[in-house]
Amino acid sequence: MALLNRMEWYNLARTTNWTPTYVTEDELFPPSLSGDFDLPLTAWEVYDEPYKQTYPEYVKVQREKDAGAYSVKAALERSRIFENADPGWKSVMKAHYGAIARGEYAAASAEARMMRFSKAPGMRNMSTLGCMDEIRHGQMQLYFPHEHVSKDRQMDWAFKAYDTNEWAMIAARHFFDDIMMTRDAISVSIMLTFSFETGFTNMQFLGLAADAAEAGDHTFANLISSIQTDESRHAQIGGPALKILIANGKKAEAQKRVDIALWGAWKLFSVLTGPIMDYYTPLEHRKQSFKEFMEEWIVAQFERALTDMGLDLPWYWDIFLQELNDTHHGMHLGSYFWRPTVWWNPAAGVTPEERAWLEEKYPGWNETWGECWDVFIDNVVDGNMEKTYPETLPYVCNMCQLPILGVPGKKWNVKDYPLDYNGRLYHFGSEVDRWCFQQDPERYAGHMSIVDRFLAGMIQPMNLEGALKYMNIAPGECGDDAHNYAWAETYRALRETRKAANA
Amino acid sequence: MSEVQVLKPQKTWSHLAARRRKPSEYDIVSTNLHYNNRDANAPYELAPELFMNQWYKQNTFGTALKHADWNAFRDPDEVIYRTYNLMQDGQETYVFGLFDQFNQREHDKSLDARWAGTLARLYTPARYLFHTLQMASAYVGQVSPASTITNCHYFQMADSLRWLSHTAYRTKELSLTFTDKGLGQDERHYWEQDSAWQGFRELMEKVLTVWDWGEAIIVLNMIAKPAVDEAVLRRLGEAARHNGDVLLGLLTDAQLMDVARHRRWLAAFTKMALETEGNKELIQSWIEKWQPLADKAIDAYCSALPDVPNAAEAAKTATRELGF
Ligand SMILES: [Fe+2]
Ligand SMILES: [Fe+2]
Repeated sequence: MALLNRMEWYNLARTTNWTPTYVTEDELFPPSLSGDFDLPLTAWEVYDEPYKQTYPEYVKVQREKDAGAYSVKAALERSRIFENADPGWKSVMKAHYGAIARGEYAAASAEARMMRFSKAPGMRNMSTLGCMDEIRHGQMQLYFPHEHVSKDRQMDWAFKAYDTNEWAMIAARHFFDDIMMTRDAISVSIMLTFSFETGFTNMQFLGLAADAAEAGDHTFANLISSIQTDESRHAQIGGPALKILIANGKKAEAQKRVDIALWGAWKLFSVLTGPIMDYYTPLEHRKQSFKEFMEEWIVAQFERALTDMGLDLPWYWDIFLQELNDTHHGMHLGSYFWRPTVWWNPAAGVTPEERAWLEEKYPGWNETWGECWDVFIDNVVDGNMEKTYPETLPYVCNMCQLPILGVPGKKWNVKDYPLDYNGRLYHFGSEVDRWCFQQDPERYAGHMSIVDRFLAGMIQPMNLEGALKYMNIAPGECGDDAHNYAWAETYRALRETRKAANA
Repeated sequence: MSEVQVLKPQKTWSHLAARRRKPSEYDIVSTNLHYNNRDANAPYELAPELFMNQWYKQNTFGTALKHADWNAFRDPDEVIYRTYNLMQDGQETYVFGLFDQFNQREHDKSLDARWAGTLARLYTPARYLFHTLQMASAYVGQVSPASTITNCHYFQMADSLRWLSHTAYRTKELSLTFTDKGLGQDERHYWEQDSAWQGFRELMEKVLTVWDWGEAIIVLNMIAKPAVDEAVLRRLGEAARHNGDVLLGLLTDAQLMDVARHRRWLAAFTKMALETEGNKELIQSWIEKWQPLADKAIDAYCSALPDVPNAAEAAKTATRELGF
C-alpha cells in the first residue's frame, strides 16, 4: 500500500490541544469568546465530529462541486431562463439572494470564531472547512445573480440589501447577528449549525431547489442544492458539542440556546420563505406547501435530531405548530401591502385557482386571510389604487423586528405582548418573542426597532417617502405587484358576469 | 413619487459601477462584503453596548492602524474560493503523488535512525505550530475591516491546515518505519517541553492573545509567520536535504509556494498601510516590540537543526527582508 488510509492519520491532525504556559488558558480561550461553560480544555477533547473530511479530500471534492455548478450556469447563460421566467419566480430569486448571499459570507466569520476559540480540536478543523464553505456560498450567490444586474435594477440588492435599513434586512441582520455574529464559539455551534443549519437551511435550499427544478431554473436549482451538500457537512459541527455540554450537566444552557435560535429562524422563514413558497412560486411549480415543507424538514426531522441528542422539544412547540398555519400568510399580506419597501415584486398569488390551492392546504384560509384579500381585490378592480398602498409603518416586534400580526376574520386575534424593562416599554408579537428577549435582555434592550427609530424622529419626513429614503430604496428598486395586477382581470370579469346575471 | 427619477440597471453592483474598469470575478464576489461598518455605534444589529459590539468597536474600528478605506485593498493574486480549490487540489495531487512515489521506493527505510530522531523532535511537533497559525489567521480574518483582507487570512488559515495535515500524514508514515522514536506519541511533549520549541510556543501563545486588529495583522504576518516560514519550512527543508531526506525538502518547497502567495498580499497590504501618515512609525514600533521574541524563537529552533550552518542568521535576515 503506497498511500496511507485517511483514518490512519486523521486523529493526529486533530490532536492539537496543548497546555499554554506563557499565557493562561483563559487568556488563550477567553470564556466570553470560547463559551462560558466552565469546562477545561480536556473536557472538549472527546469531541468527535460525525462527518470527517481531510484537507486534500476537501479541496478535491469542492473543486469538483464548483465545476458542476459553474458549468451548468455557463451552459444555460444564453438560455434566457431569467428573461422568460414568471415574474413571481424572479421575485423568489431576488428575495433569496438579497437576504442570503452576504449573510452566508458573514457565516464564514462565525465559523472562524469556532475555529479560533473552540476548545475542541476536531471542531476547530471542521470549522476551518466550514469557514471555507461559507466563503463559497457568499461568492457563488453573488456571482450567479450578478449576471442579471444589467437587466433589472432590483438585482443590485443581491449585494446591496445588507448595507441598508430596509425593514426585512433589519430583521434578517438582527436574527443572524444574534445567533452567529455575536456569540461565543460553542453557542455558534449550537445556534447556527445545529439549530439553524440542520433544519432550516436544508429546507430553504432543498425546498427551493425542488421548486426551481419545477420552474425550469436549473442553474438556480443546481446552485443551491450544491450549497446544501456543504451545509449538511458543517451543520454537524454542533451536535458533538451539545453532547459534551449535556454530559457535563449543561443541558439547560444548551436547551435555551436551541430554543432561542429555533424561534428566530422560524420567524425569519415566515416572512422570507413562506411567501416565496406559497404565493410567489407559480402554482404549477409548487412542489409542496410551505407548511408541508416545514412539517417535513423542521417538525419531523428536527424533532428527531433534538430527541436523539437528549434535548427536549422547545416549551413553545404547540404555539409553533399552531403558527405554521397562519404566520406566513400574515407576513405575505404585510410585505405585499408594504411592497414599495421590499426589493422584489411580490406576487399576490390570489387568483381563484391559487385560492383554491391555499384553501386546500390551509383549510379556513378564505374566511380569514381571504377576507383581507377580498377588500384588496375590490380596491384594485375599482381602480382605487391609492387604497392598496400603505401610508405609514406597521408596529413591529422588538425581538424578531417583524410586523405584529393577528389572524383576521371572525377570530381576529391580534395581540401585543408588552414588557416594561428598565423603564422602557417593549412590544412583542408573541409570548415566545418576549420570552427570548427576557433570556438575555441586555443583548437586545439597547436596540431600536424601525418603529422606535421612526418615533424617535430618526426617519424624516415621517411618512412613507421618509421611510423609503431611510431604507435606501428608491423607484426602480421599490417593489410592486409582480404581474402588474394582471390577475385582477379575472376578478373584473367575474364581477361583470355577476352583474350581467343580476341585471 | 412620479417626478422622482427611476433608477436604471447598471452593468455591475452599484458600489462598483462608478469605476470605469470592468470588474473581474474577484471584484464581484470579494469586495465590500462585511456589513458591520454601517453603524459606528453598533457593528451588529443588537444592543450597541453588547460585548461583541464593543469588541469590534474597539479592536477592529478602534485600532490605531488607520486607513481611510481598507475596503480598497485588493489581493494581487485575486484568489477567490473557486480558484483556491483549483490551485490547491493541483498542489495536493502533487504532494500526495510525492508521498506515493517515495513510499514505493521505500524512502523512509533509507533514512538514518539519527535523522529520524531529529524528525521526531524538530519536524513532527510542527503540527502544533501550524495549528497556531491556523488559529491566528482565523482571528485576524474575523476582525479585519475589509472582506478582501479577511479572505487572504481565511485562505491562509486553510493553508495552515494543509501544512498541519501533511505533517500528521508524515508523522504516521514515519512511525511505521521508526517504531522507537515516539513518533505520533511525543509531539505534544516536545512542543510543550523541548527547548527547541519553547521560543515558538511563547511567541505564538502571545500572538494568539493580541486582540487589536492592527497589531495582530502586523505581528502575525510580518513577524511570527515569517519566522515560522523561514525556520521551520526553509531551514528545516535544507537540513533534510543534507540528511538524505529528499521528500521533506520537496514537501517544504511545496509549502513555500503558499508562503510566496502570502507574501504577495502582505506586500500589497503594507504598501497600502503606509499611505496613511503615522502608520510607518506605528508598524515599526510593533516590529520592535515583537522582533526579539521572534528572534529568540528562531535562535532556539535553528540552533537545534543539524547541518545548516548559520541557519538562525539566515532565517532572521530573511524575515527582515519583508520590512519596508
Ligand atoms: Fe452556507
Ligand atoms: Fe452554513
